[in-house]
Amino acid sequence: MRLEHWFYTIPLRLRSLFRRRQVEAELDEELRYHLERKIEEFDARGLSREEARYAAFRAMDGLEQRKEECRDKRRTNSIENFFQDLRYGLRMLRKSPGFTAVAVLTLALGIGANTAIFTVVNAVLLRPLAYPEPDRIVNFMLGNHEIEGTSVPMFMFWREQTEVLQDFALYGEVVKGPGVNLTNTDRPERLRSIPVSADFFKLFGASIEIGRTFTAQEDVPGGPRLAVLSDGFWRRRFGADRTLVGKSILLGGEPYVVIGIVCDIEPIHSAWNAQGPSLRTDTPADVWLPVQADPNSADQGGNYRSAARLKPGVTLEMAKARTKLAEARFRQKFPGGKLSSFSFNLEPLSEAVVGNVRLGLLVLMGAVSFVLLIACANVANLQLARATGRRREMAIRAALGAGRRRIVFQLLTETLPLWLAGGALGIGFGYSVLRALLASSSVNLPRIGAQGSAVTLDSRVIIFTMLTATFTGILFGLIPAFSASHDDVSAALKENGTRSGSGLGQSKTRAILVVIEMALTLVLLAGAALLMRTFVALRTVDPGFEAHNVLTFEMSLNQARFDQTVAVARLLRDAQRRVEGIPGVEALAATRSLPLDPNPDYAPVIIEGRPPTKDRYQDWAASRDVSAPYFEVFRVPLLRGRLFTERDDERAPRVVVINETMAKAFWPTDSLGRAPLGERITLYEEPPREIIGVVADVRDAELGSKPEPMVYVPVGQRLDADNAEDNKESSMIWVVRTKSEPYSLSDGIQRELRIASGGLPVSHIRSMDQVRMEATASSNFNMMLFNIFAGIAVLLAAIGIYGVMAYAVQQRTQEIGVRMALGASPRDVIRMVVRRGMRLALMGVLIGLVGAWALTPLMASLLYGVKASDPVVLTSVAVLLSAVALVASLIPARRATRVDPVLALRLE
Amino acid sequence: MSKPSDLVQGTLDLLLLKILALEPLNGFAISLRLKQVSSDVLQVSDGSLYPALHKLEQEGWIAAEWKLSENNRRAKFYLLTRLGRKQLAKEAANWTRLSDAISHVVRIEEA
Repeated sequence: MRLEHWFYTIPLRLRSLFRRRQVEAELDEELRYHLERKIEEFDARGLSREEARYAAFRAMDGLEQRKEECRDKRRTNSIENFFQDLRYGLRMLRKSPGFTAVAVLTLALGIGANTAIFTVVNAVLLRPLAYPEPDRIVNFMLGNHEIEGTSVPMFMFWREQTEVLQDFALYGEVVKGPGVNLTNTDRPERLRSIPVSADFFKLFGASIEIGRTFTAQEDVPGGPRLAVLSDGFWRRRFGADRTLVGKSILLGGEPYVVIGIVCDIEPIHSAWNAQGPSLRTDTPADVWLPVQADPNSADQGGNYRSAARLKPGVTLEMAKARTKLAEARFRQKFPGGKLSSFSFNLEPLSEAVVGNVRLGLLVLMGAVSFVLLIACANVANLQLARATGRRREMAIRAALGAGRRRIVFQLLTETLPLWLAGGALGIGFGYSVLRALLASSSVNLPRIGAQGSAVTLDSRVIIFTMLTATFTGILFGLIPAFSASHDDVSAALKENGTRSGSGLGQSKTRAILVVIEMALTLVLLAGAALLMRTFVALRTVDPGFEAHNVLTFEMSLNQARFDQTVAVARLLRDAQRRVEGIPGVEALAATRSLPLDPNPDYAPVIIEGRPPTKDRYQDWAASRDVSAPYFEVFRVPLLRGRLFTERDDERAPRVVVINETMAKAFWPTDSLGRAPLGERITLYEEPPREIIGVVADVRDAELGSKPEPMVYVPVGQRLDADNAEDNKESSMIWVVRTKSEPYSLSDGIQRELRIASGGLPVSHIRSMDQVRMEATASSNFNMMLFNIFAGIAVLLAAIGIYGVMAYAVQQRTQEIGVRMALGASPRDVIRMVVRRGMRLALMGVLIGLVGAWALTPLMASLLYGVKASDPVVLTSVAVLLSAVALVASLIPARRATRVDPVLALRLE
Repeated sequence: MSKPSDLVQGTLDLLLLKILALEPLNGFAISLRLKQVSSDVLQVSDGSLYPALHKLEQEGWIAAEWKLSENNRRAKFYLLTRLGRKQLAKEAANWTRLSDAISHVVRIEEA
């Protein structure tokens, strides 16, 4: 039945579409035949020729309307109409290039900004991680602290939960880790290396190019020294030499056999941004070494990450429950200990990577959608103004049988090219601005690659943009379309010519659009102002150290000859003597971590002589190993006691310096201001140390957060075992204070450091100014974008209000002329026009204030030093926007005063 | 814009199909025939006839053919297709059922 139906109808549809002219001619001929016969019939009844004609046409009850009805029956009419309207629309647009250009550019701005932000959102939040079954990989963490590393025993207990999880991977740090030095060449180089367990490659889906990866049998303590190289490193450093596999290379002074080359897999490392710690995936490793962890280890140190894949059919909740079981077993074996303040937890890996940047990106997305709405409202407004000039055209169309639907569709079809052109232009425009932005500024976002290279246009972005364009085009195209189709046909036809006043409905629609624009702009301005205040607050906050003229160098001491603390102490002394000998260098110090570039260690603290609390690890402090001149280099003032000297070495009594926050937090009742000098504390399982000094607080973790309790430990006084472990987990960072621009001394300092260390390379050379900039990169990025958006919004809103007022003035030329003829002064006229403009503006501002008050709390966590509902911010943006609106309506108001009453009246 | 107000919705289709089942006709002839067969009871305006015919054509129930008319002029003749014949049978059956039911109701004696 259906098939037979198609057999008849499909040829008809095709004919209607492609032989349109013939079909139309047939329709004409058919009806003409009918009319002729009808006329003949009336003729025969004795009517005059003229009367017969009239009667025949009347019997048809509107020939053109009937034709249109017949066309409607063809079912292809809507397609035809669409193309016809499209052609007509394009012709209209060509005829008014000014309007078209303004509208398309406005839309390109709005849509382009959305494309730009969505491209970032897509790359960071939407694109799945580049691993097999990425949404089934879970990240192991302690409590909610991704940053707190897993220890080997924790991993071993977790790994027992094989019923719910598989492919357990234990792996080290790519970026924060020390890496390893490649030394048997004339170009020693610090490689980004990480220790990994055998299943790491399986979990993260490495594709093997040559050779193989480690087996579980090799991944045991005392196993063979093996290395797997990344494809990128192998090509760069060894010219893709295939014979390298099977040979050995010298890493950290030891020979390692290269067993395989794998293609770069999205590696994982931890990082820190303004919202706290997260995992990052965008720095590739050069080489992977077997972690060879001891299953029976009791060492609770270690800064590993661990992850695994959910078994088929297992949910995250089930895996979490089993992980709690592992925790219970672990606690049984290791009561107390590091774990007491943390608990075993799981989260999806993607959450660990992007969880804490999501809010910022979504806020940006919201802000940029406001910009688009404002742009669309402006274009709708322009169209409304144009529609007024076309009222007669619409009325004629209606009189000739175009239904309301038909007119709405026509106007919509004429509109759509504007939006699609805006969308197409917007993709190009948004993307190129984004590229420039990502390349020029340091943006602290995960997954965007080096200078945003991973932020690319893909089909999803293009579909998003075109959908946005189409959707907003339909939404905002409907406003002028409906408003035009409302018109009373006979009234519109009676009005004479071009100067017909706009319908009341239209000017009301336009006023509403302007009010909405003002409201949206105010919300954006408020957001921008809050982020600006945050930016200023972060810039002016005293970090507690002097960043200017300090240069930092990293060096990996991850090799056996630095296992002994004495060896490190000797290196520090040599380096200090050599580098401080360079003219222009004030001081050199060594540290395991930098302020504002956090990855601090946290150490449990026990105060000697205090009754033991039920949990002996209740108190924690950040700890940093430094050499004596550290405080001099960073100009951290001493408050009480003394600083480290060179005499605080491995043979001297063990000492520690603490910060003021720790002194206040741990010795709150000290009235004399002398304690805690002379008190003794124990960190981890070490022998106790005496507190010899209290220094001022430094903003260590991030500029926007309060300083934490902190202990400084002399590098030269670490236990040998701890020192060796430190070397495996972190680099040594050299910090140099210079008398002038520090980069000019970089070459000399590098040379001296290389000699002092016996040929070790330095890497990652940064000034502290740079480190400080990177620390505020994400808030800068947010602020910059918000300001751009708010700027565009203000501009568009000003144009919007100007347009409406200018139009109103033009419409009321006569009225103004009459008023002036009757004695109204220019002042009165200005007041009249401005009052109307400001009424709209203030209405918008008020609504916007309510909106801002409701919405800005969403961005509270992005702010520093200012509350989301800060009255000063809200008041000042309200005043600013009102002032802009005042100027925008003053211009047409002044024009109104130049109306010549005589001319205006003569128009009547 | 008058609709075929005197006709029950959908019956115009049935009438047209039935008329064309007898012989192929052009539009003007159909309008005459409609008046004739219904003894002027059923008024179908010229205006609504053509959209109705075009609808039947687009449904595939009738097909068009250009032929010379009785007065030797080219005219568009409509003829019933196989599909149209089936549709006619279906609609006629529906109509009979409906009109029987209604007559039955009308004939009920009032108590």
